[in-house]
Amino acid sequence: MELLLFDAFNGLIVGFFYALMALGLSLILGLNSVINFAHGGFMALGGYLAFTLVPIIGFWGALILAPFAAAALGILAERGLIRPLYGRDPLYSLLLTFGLALILEDITRTVWGAQGLPFAIPNFLNHPLNNVYFFVTGYRVFVVIVTAIATAGLFAVLRFTRLGICIRAGNADLETVASLGVNIYFLRGANFALGILLAGLAGILAAGQLGLTPTMGSSLIMPSFVAIIVGGAGSLIGSLLGGLIIGVAAGITTAYFPSASEVVIYLIMAFVLMVRPRGLLGQEGLFE
Amino acid sequence: MDIFTRNLGRRTVLGSAAAAAAGAMIYPARGTFAASETPVRIGMIDPLTGTYAALGSSEVLGAKVALNEVNKAGGILGRPVELLVEDSAADPGTAVQKARKLVNSEKVNFLMGAVSSAEALSLSQAAEELKTFYLDTGGHTDLVTGTQCRWTTFRTCSTTWMLTAGNFQTLFDKFGKDWYFITPDYAFGHSLEQDYSEQLRKAGGKVLGNALAPLGTTDFSSYLIQARAAKPSVLIILTAGDDLVNSLKQATQFGLDKEMAISGALQELEVLQALPPAARLGWWTFEWWWDQPNQPHVADFVTAYKAASGGKVPSARSWFGFASLHAIALAANKAKTLDTMSMVKAMEGLELPPEVALQPNNPFYRAADHQLIANEFPGYVISNGTYPNLFHVADIVPESKIGKSAAEAGCKMTYPS
Repeated sequence: MELLLFDAFNGLIVGFFYALMALGLSLILGLNSVINFAHGGFMALGGYLAFTLVPIIGFWGALILAPFAAAALGILAERGLIRPLYGRDPLYSLLLTFGLALILEDITRTVWGAQGLPFAIPNFLNHPLNNVYFFVTGYRVFVVIVTAIATAGLFAVLRFTRLGICIRAGNADLETVASLGVNIYFLRGANFALGILLAGLAGILAAGQLGLTPTMGSSLIMPSFVAIIVGGAGSLIGSLLGGLIIGVAAGITTAYFPSASEVVIYLIMAFVLMVRPRGLLGQEGLFE
Repeated sequence: MDIFTRNLGRRTVLGSAAAAAAGAMIYPARGTFAASETPVRIGMIDPLTGTYAALGSSEVLGAKVALNEVNKAGGILGRPVELLVEDSAADPGTAVQKARKLVNSEKVNFLMGAVSSAEALSLSQAAEELKTFYLDTGGHTDLVTGTQCRWTTFRTCSTTWMLTAGNFQTLFDKFGKDWYFITPDYAFGHSLEQDYSEQLRKAGGKVLGNALAPLGTTDFSSYLIQARAAKPSVLIILTAGDDLVNSLKQATQFGLDKEMAISGALQELEVLQALPPAARLGWWTFEWWWDQPNQPHVADFVTAYKAASGGKVPSARSWFGFASLHAIALAANKAKTLDTMSMVKAMEGLELPPEVALQPNNPFYRAADHQLIANEFPGYVISNGTYPNLFHVADIVPESKIGKSAAEAGCKMTYPS
């Protein structure tokens, strides 16, 4: 019984990470209507950029700067590649971002090498906080706190800033927002950058936990997609919830039936899609 | 000619660029051969992407160093040698597909490669069907030269039995009799776990549990929770490549190294290099080590490899690639033909010369099961070491002393009549 509690708790910590990825995906899916397969690639890029920046500006500097660097690259991709595809079938941008994901993975492999790289975290975060809950290391608590702050920050931006209000309005009805004089090209770009900012942040957090490998993006992207489908496409709270649910489910399954740990999240997705096709908190009519 | 004046559409350019990128990477033969000589082609299939990318890349680079030497020394049968490299991503299906392509379309004469045991097993089967000589560079499971041995398949890396027998007694004496395993859930992990468990039970020890983690697992926290709950005296981690990096890193972050010993069988330079210093620990086995001051020719290989790799020292994987390509050239020159059966006969019993073996005890390919009988290099990780001085070799154990005979390993070699 105690073990079950441990595994659920452990899964919750993992779930926070999926949630952070899912939030960015969901943001981009909502306003840009882009199923961003390259999200994992940008995540890895964020981690690798941080790796390069740490010797120059230290861990804390990299933690702040690397996500913005990733977001800047995100803006370039949005301007140069994704923008011409707005208004077309979502399949086009899906194919594009799928290709972009492969390109980003090869770029990280070419620049930083196929070899895994260690990512040093501040030493005081590197120990368990408690002898019983030994899996609650300082770093994992740190990941949860950073995710919570980033999520709260995102919701504050969406609620209280003009940009955020435009994003939410655009989510509801982009044509009306455009006709009211909002520059939707700028809005889409800013929204995409915001999503990639979260991906870059997730990349640094993952690097501290798992180290850096060129394939980290592709291995972490699928659970994040499942999270938004379970939580409900278009709903940010839903994405958060979806991330936590699959984290806990995978954590518990790994303990009792490890060979099913990968398949269980897809089973949950299939079940949710059958019972409630729009996801737990999804908007009606989006992608239907 | 100005490329812009040519009538090339954007899509054509993109398409041909993609096609070029998708094709095999060919490393052309250098040296002084007559232009009329058709090259001998060796197809190499190794993971260049995925969990085992770093290991596969080392094997390829090692083979390229050997390729250079072979061509300088006159190639195979006076013909230049070409190496065609294909990425398997450590996926058995992809590996077989690439093998068929190399043999049927690229007309390669020999096949070599593999990091994952699963891809080695499927390549071995495919090679027999294609009646093509195959040299397994780095897939370790006992089965390849054991119950599933095949007349066309040889192997340079050691068996999982040799890996475990190389340091079992040391681990048992040092860390006690209650063992817990974290095992990658495929042929390689299964063989390692069985081999250790067999020796542990004989010695009077106990297996407290075995957590099977899928290949490519990134988060090992659940497995580590199980391991700690079992309270073993030693946690044996049998994962490899990036999976070993992740499991060791997380085990030390959780402080498990303060409650139990952490060790295992196969350890590699690529893994130690990718680990943060705190996670560099334990007793393991290497299959080759770059620092053998009393062994002639080793320093020369290190120098040649450093020049080719931009400063990296060769790992055991690099040596697998290096020795394997040399072995193919030696056997073919001995056979005086590229015919598969003659090649197999020439390879059986082939002893590696000192400048290829780069280790003591005259390694040779055993005729009965086609397994290279070389050495294990058990020892411990130097915890505060700096690259490349990360491992202390405690002993060099000849595999002829610890390995099973071909009959014990279950190999019954059958040849086509």
